Amino acid sequence: MGFWQDPQFGDRMITLMAALVLVLQITMVAQRWLVTNIYVFAIQSLLLAGIANTIAYFNSAPHIYIAAGLTLLFKAILLPVILRRLVTRIGIRQEIEPFVNVPVSVIVSGLLTLLAYVVAEPLQSRPAIGAAGLGRNTLPVAIALFLIGFFMMINRRKALTQVLALLSLENGLFLAAISLTYGMPMIVELGIFFDVLVAVMILAILVFRIRETFDSMDVSRLSRLRG
Amino acid sequence: MPIALLLLIPLAASGLTAMTRGRRAMELIHILSAVGGFVAAILLAAKVLDRGESSYWNGFLFADALSALVVLLTAFTYLACASYSMGYFRNDDVVKLRKYYILTPLLAFSMFLVTVASNLGVMWVAMEGTTLASIFLVTYYGRPTSLEAAWKYAMIGGVGLSMALFGTLLTYYAASQVLGMESLSALNWTVLAGSAARFDHTVMRLAFILILLGYGTKAGLAPMHTWKPDAYSESPIPVAALMSVAVLNSALYALARFYVLTVRCLGPSFPSQLLMLFGFLSIGIAVPFILVQRSYRRLLAYSSIDHGGIMVLALGFGGALGPLGMMLHMTFHAVTKPLLFFCAGNAQQQIGSDSLKKTPGGLLHALPVSGPMFLLATLAVTGTPPFSIFQSEFLILRAGFAAQHVGRSMVLVALLVAIFSGFFHHIAQLVLGPPNSAHGTENWGWKTYPVAALFALVLVLGFWIPAPLYSLVKGAAGLLAVQP
Repeated sequence: MGFWQDPQFGDRMITLMAALVLVLQITMVAQRWLVTNIYVFAIQSLLLAGIANTIAYFNSAPHIYIAAGLTLLFKAILLPVILRRLVTRIGIRQEIEPFVNVPVSVIVSGLLTLLAYVVAEPLQSRPAIGAAGLGRNTLPVAIALFLIGFFMMINRRKALTQVLALLSLENGLFLAAISLTYGMPMIVELGIFFDVLVAVMILAILVFRIRETFDSMDVSRLSRLRG
Repeated sequence: MPIALLLLIPLAASGLTAMTRGRRAMELIHILSAVGGFVAAILLAAKVLDRGESSYWNGFLFADALSALVVLLTAFTYLACASYSMGYFRNDDVVKLRKYYILTPLLAFSMFLVTVASNLGVMWVAMEGTTLASIFLVTYYGRPTSLEAAWKYAMIGGVGLSMALFGTLLTYYAASQVLGMESLSALNWTVLAGSAARFDHTVMRLAFILILLGYGTKAGLAPMHTWKPDAYSESPIPVAALMSVAVLNSALYALARFYVLTVRCLGPSFPSQLLMLFGFLSIGIAVPFILVQRSYRRLLAYSSIDHGGIMVLALGFGGALGPLGMMLHMTFHAVTKPLLFFCAGNAQQQIGSDSLKKTPGGLLHALPVSGPMFLLATLAVTGTPPFSIFQSEFLILRAGFAAQHVGRSMVLVALLVAIFSGFFHHIAQLVLGPPNSAHGTENWGWKTYPVAALFALVLVLGFWIPAPLYSLVKGAAGLLAVQP
């Protein structure tokens, strides 16, 4: 038996990848360029696919392989390509300009991560031994992704960066599903992927039209409707 | 069989419309699809009344009295909007119209799927589908403000639905702890409802909060309501009416399903307190915005927030009367609200603005049919007797008193009176007044037939409710009046 078949090795790999996912999420908060943000999102999705893949391998569960494959195909490749082309098309490459400056944002993200650990505590079920317990410890990371994604949505004024924040928030949900129940039932999983894909296309069209109409992607200019 | 028709007819209509070019053909397909959907909904309701709840397609689809009632109301609104849209869009560009006629059946399909999906995960997927299908309906007119409304709708809706997905996921987790990981049916309604009593309490508590925030956003409950006035005032009238009635009902339906699970697991007091809180917030937030409103389209949106709040509050009051009040209110609201929207649409097309400040009044003379109806519909929607909403609101008050919430019921009365006075003041100023020479006269056509028909229905429902419909309402309320 090689070391790669040892569940303990799998557990370490998953912990490592989950930690990187969290680091990448905070990187997204901290760094200032839109295009880099798209790449960071792609790598984060790749790592998520890796986590799902590892769990599928140690549990020999085919439906998790499918979820991992779909994540790789859609979130790590297709969506970043779509978003990247959109950036080229509307000819912007500027900075992200968050409302709260970067150091404060990073501190907020740290606090949200702490909060995620507190929230996740009562949800953790009894630790299972061996392959069946893999990935249980990623729940706090998943909740942290969700909360930080939420924070990014509020903190950003450019339309496209809000889309990215929404997507990373969705990544948190995917990780939570993997960690809690090893994914949703297949039909639901497929439906969610379909919805995310259609949503990104619709949002891309909207971003494009907002850019055309307002000559800017700054959503804080979308303030004519009041009362 | 009716359940398959219900889902296939709108899908087919959307596909067929994509292949046609002419305005007449698109209108014909659309109205046929709406009539077909309504007939299928009636057949489904009859079947449910006859045989009780049943599953179809290996348990993928499921219908009980609650889903049959919501399906019926959705199909009714779809039909009303389809007939009104033939008149409303008469002068619009065919290219734009195609978008409307392709996307609206998809919206109807998603709403039908929300209500008949057995799997709560599929229900979520369909709910997201309603958002996706309606974003480009909000941008129909292509104004900068409609882009703004659509953006807010997409973003706030997206965040809300992701919370609902998290809640669904936690419910699945709670179920899989009890039923075992391998159970693929662990999100199916019948399975969940049967085993909810054994779910983990902490997980279900968090799940219900997330579901309430998530589907509450979709229903436009305060404080997640901010997208609603924008989206309702920017989208075309038939779309706004569909969202205000059918999408609201679908979201409340999803919320009600999780409410039942939560009550079975945690007992009624925890979910009831939360529902009452959000109900009062929604009704309360509508009051100032209705009192100082400058646009009658936005006024209707705040009225929709108010009615969503009333329905949630009724569910929170609980007991036997609360759910009955909620279901009756949902039924009456589904008939009255489209009437109000259609009158507002006719008024807006006549005077070319939705402003309450700039209009000279005297709509009564310019629109001999829609003008007076607008005023009467306002009375009906604010719960004035003899119209039907008065009865359901009265029943909800009784439920409040029966549940010993005397103070809260008094507050509800005060809020409803404030909303009535603000609403009536605005619409009366718009409708009454001396004749204004600039206005033309109104002809009978597809813009006025639905108004007249709906008004007749509203009037009749105030005095008499058909026995099968009432037993459906009672059946649905019985499903929500759960004991732990």
